[in-house]
Amino acid sequence: MTTECKIGVYVCSCGTNIGKMVDCDAVTGYTKNLPGVAVCKSYKYMCSNPGQEMIVKDIQRYGLDRVVVAACSPRMHEPTFRAAISHGGLNPYYLEMANIREQCSWVHDDHQQATDKAKALTCAAVKRVPFHEPFDMQSVPMNSASLVIGGGVAGLTAALELADANQPVYLVEKDGKLGGNLARIDLTSPYLDSAKDLLAERICRVTKNPKITVMLNSEVESISGYVGNFKAQIKSNGEAVTDIEIGSIIVCTGFREFDASKVGEYGYGRFPNVVTSFDLEKMLKEGRVVMKDGKTPKYVTIINCVGSRSGKYNRYCSRVCCMTALKYANGIKSAAPDAFITNLYTDMNAFGKGCEDFYRRSAERDTIFMMFDKHAPPTVSAAGKGEHFNMLVKVNEILSGEEVEIPADMVVLMVGMEAREDSMNVARLVNISRDKDGWFIESHPKLDPVATSTDGVFIAGACASPKDIPDTVAQARATTARILAKICQGEIWVEPVYAEINEDLCSGCRVCNELCPYSAIDYDPVKKRSAIISVMCKSCGGCVAGCPSGAIKARHFTDKQIFEQIEGVLEWASSRA
Amino acid sequence: MAVRANPNLLKQLKRYGADDVTKCFHCGTCSATCPLSQEPFLFPRKSMRYLQMGLGDRLKGNLEPWLCYYCGDCSDQCPREAQPGETMMSMRRWLTAKYDFTGLSMLFYESRTAEVAAIIVVGILSGIGFYLLGALSGGDFGSYPGFIPGHNAEYLTELGWDVKSVVLVMAVFVLGLLGINVLRMWWFTTGSRKDLNVPFDIYMKHILLCPWHFFTQKRYSECDKKKPWVVHIILMLGFVALFAVFLAHMIWQDDTHAHTYLGPLAGVMLVGASSFALSGRLNKTEAHYKYSHHSDMNFLYMCLFVGLTGLAQHIAGRIGCGAFANFMYILHMMGAVPMLLIQLPFTKWAHLVYRPHAMYFAAIQADVIAGREGAKGASAVPHKQSA
Ligand SMILES: Cc1cc2nc3c(=O)[nH]c(=O)nc-3n(C[C@H](O)[C@H](O)[C@H](O)COP(=O)(O)OP(=O)(O)OC[C@H]3O[C@@H](n4cnc5c(N)ncnc54)[C@H](O)[C@@H]3O)c2cc1C
Ligand code: SF4
Ligand code: SF4
Ligand code: SF4
Ligand code: SF4
Ligand code: SF4
Repeated sequence: MTTECKIGVYVCSCGTNIGKMVDCDAVTGYTKNLPGVAVCKSYKYMCSNPGQEMIVKDIQRYGLDRVVVAACSPRMHEPTFRAAISHGGLNPYYLEMANIREQCSWVHDDHQQATDKAKALTCAAVKRVPFHEPFDMQSVPMNSASLVIGGGVAGLTAALELADANQPVYLVEKDGKLGGNLARIDLTSPYLDSAKDLLAERICRVTKNPKITVMLNSEVESISGYVGNFKAQIKSNGEAVTDIEIGSIIVCTGFREFDASKVGEYGYGRFPNVVTSFDLEKMLKEGRVVMKDGKTPKYVTIINCVGSRSGKYNRYCSRVCCMTALKYANGIKSAAPDAFITNLYTDMNAFGKGCEDFYRRSAERDTIFMMFDKHAPPTVSAAGKGEHFNMLVKVNEILSGEEVEIPADMVVLMVGMEAREDSMNVARLVNISRDKDGWFIESHPKLDPVATSTDGVFIAGACASPKDIPDTVAQARATTARILAKICQGEIWVEPVYAEINEDLCSGCRVCNELCPYSAIDYDPVKKRSAIISVMCKSCGGCVAGCPSGAIKARHFTDKQIFEQIEGVLEWASSRA
Repeated sequence: MAVRANPNLLKQLKRYGADDVTKCFHCGTCSATCPLSQEPFLFPRKSMRYLQMGLGDRLKGNLEPWLCYYCGDCSDQCPREAQPGETMMSMRRWLTAKYDFTGLSMLFYESRTAEVAAIIVVGILSGIGFYLLGALSGGDFGSYPGFIPGHNAEYLTELGWDVKSVVLVMAVFVLGLLGINVLRMWWFTTGSRKDLNVPFDIYMKHILLCPWHFFTQKRYSECDKKKPWVVHIILMLGFVALFAVFLAHMIWQDDTHAHTYLGPLAGVMLVGASSFALSGRLNKTEAHYKYSHHSDMNFLYMCLFVGLTGLAQHIAGRIGCGAFANFMYILHMMGAVPMLLIQLPFTKWAHLVYRPHAMYFAAIQADVIAGREGAKGASAVPHKQSA
């Protein structure tokens, strides 16, 4: 078979990225004499338009039927070169890449060794590529209904957006009412508009919209299927189970607040007038900021970063609490104009639109800001006898270098945001991953912030990381754009690279069923055989290696292809000896 | 030692002009901008901090406001428009009030009415006094003949009173007050600080700094902008000249030389500099003229008044209108006496005494701190053992 192929090999120097460490001409010189190589060239930027055109022209001029590109990682440019050769008339899977950048020039500091390794990898690719098989993209139908998990502002917004586009939505909310954490908030920073107004309109439209099925006191029991074709079971009020079929899932399960009583030095639970941000929201909603004895506080101290940015609790910044603290400073000033308000912060996070102005305005209203080192937090203690206030907050104030005592009638703790206690279960249910802090992980933090590693499952709002309302809403809308795009296409194109089980060899031992991290393997109890749902398979190879009967073959990663690749490396080694 | 934050200080300082201090978010741009800020006195940011947090004791012992000459560069650069220059100015007012043990300074600074009323009362009293004096001495102060004719001059002599004794009493009173207040200033800023523990020879080493800064305003001249320094030194020399005329007149009874040359010169300097500053303040032409406390305005009006009446009296005397000259003389004194009795010890003019002393104390502190750090540095270098 080998001798029948006409292979074109293209060695890229990636500007100086590869060229400064790998002798690309030497690689070309060595490769062009390998059996099957019809043409071998090196070029400064293979991925550039002239580089790609060179490949396309060569395919026609030399009648090439396989192409090897020795360049960067396939993660970077495999799609580019696949498109290029398909433009030249070849099946895109007739391409193989040798990674001589990340695996050679970037990781070696010896020119000779880097060049040798580049030769070996290129030779391996040349040996492998004749065994590539042609594949066509596969498509599956797309169910236009969606499941939204969580009825906070993220879930409400996503549901409305889809319903407005005339698509059916199931909105599943664990609680007895819609609104999530926003329903516990009075005014919102930085413009001080009412959270109730923001929510009421959303909730009213959601409940009235015939396209949206709201399921309160409900939780998702199980999910099966794959993108465009999921099946879910919803359990309502602890018993009734509804089966639904959907094409996409949006997870909007939000956050929970940090438990302030964990921080002993702040005295939450010990002093009645040490309250959390949510306690204060409740007072502000009722329009009365008062101490436990019903009196109006004269001295209020707001402590930021409670449970956040700390070595002991959560390391991350909760992102909204700085501006929320300013909101409280303003709110308390309005409710108790004579109150003296101090805000103890570690860093003032005024990152968003309108936030810096809000910070400035709060300063102008005589809020006193004091800075502390996050490793030396303030302490709260009872005031001495005969003082006209009831607590004393001590802080090592960084900007003056002084140890300052602040009189306090009320202390407000800006509790951070945490992943919900059941986030692990939700992650398992929809088959997505969580980071070390329990937040759901996006497919790409910058370029693909609402998709996940599972096709058809999206995340939005505070379940992915602490977020304010604008960011939450933007994400919710982004998920629906992704979903509507798929619905418009009507079907879903998926990579034809997946694993296949040879039914004749499968013994039905079910070892692979447990191995697959993407739940892509079904077991047929009648046939007593396992079968892979190709659209869900990510071609990780776990089952291929695990099957005791050797019944599984991974497309594009067959044993033959991999052995030939190893042969290639050995061939280069023996050519040196 | 922990210090207690005092929310009321901020409210109090607002009455002295510190309106924008809470806007400061401590970027430090001002301290980096200030041409006069130097180790170990890096200002004005830290003073802003003390004030925001209400650390009254720290502020009371702080010399930094006096080291600032209000060029306004920091206010121009401040990203938050927290007016650090004006805040330093208001801290000087507050410090003046704190140094004063009588509490009158605080009263005059915090209430415009009080200051104006005191000036008017003292002015009228001295007017009456000088009128009587003129009347009793036969309508003649000694300078311009022919004011209120036909009075009995004997009476005054019998009493043993004359202008000289009145001036002497006044001088003792004012100097005594200021002396006590300077001592208090020393105690707050230097004497009470156990961490400094200044040896006597260091006090002696810098003693000449006081008069040096008083006369040259050298530090002011180090600002990047020179115009304010020129205006200030003209105003200041005008007063020195006036004082010389006064001494010559009162003590040596020498009127010809001093009156003929120095007097008009002093008058012109006073009128020129004070009307320039006044128009600057009214039109808010420069950073340091943008915000005016009532004590600033009152002071300038008084300067102008004293200058103008002085000049008028001189001119009238020269052209032979003795009666008018004497009338102007009384008006002149009605301005000069309140300035000396109210504004010198208690309000705006007191900086004349405190500022040179602040330079003196600051030099002492810097010397002690540098000496200590030098010693630290020396001990940090390991001694090489000779082999
Ligand atoms: C004290 C405080 C004050 C704030 N103030 C402001 C502010 O002024 N301005 C601002 O922009 N932002 C503010 N925020 C941030 C704001 O609260 C969040 O951005 C917003 O609530 C995030 O909405 P969400 O829908 O993502 O999550 P959530 O509001 O947490 O909603 C999640 C919903 O999902 C439901 N749910 C959870 N798990 C499941 C499950 N397994 N099955 C079904 N349902 C589930 C929950 O019951 C809840 O209804 C504040 C946050 C805090 C903590
Ligand atoms: S947003 Fe502010 S208060 Fe909240 S964790 Fe971050 S720095 Fe701390
Ligand atoms: S591991 Fe192999 S033999 Fe066992 S069920 Fe899976 S495919 Fe069949
Ligand atoms: S290759 Fe990986 S993803 Fe595909 S079925 Fe096997 S284990 Fe699952
Ligand atoms: S006064 Fe202005 S320049 Fe100075 S630290 Fe404050 S904000 Fe910065
Ligand atoms: S006004 Fe001028 S001298 Fe005073 S602190 Fe600002 S920059 Fe320094």
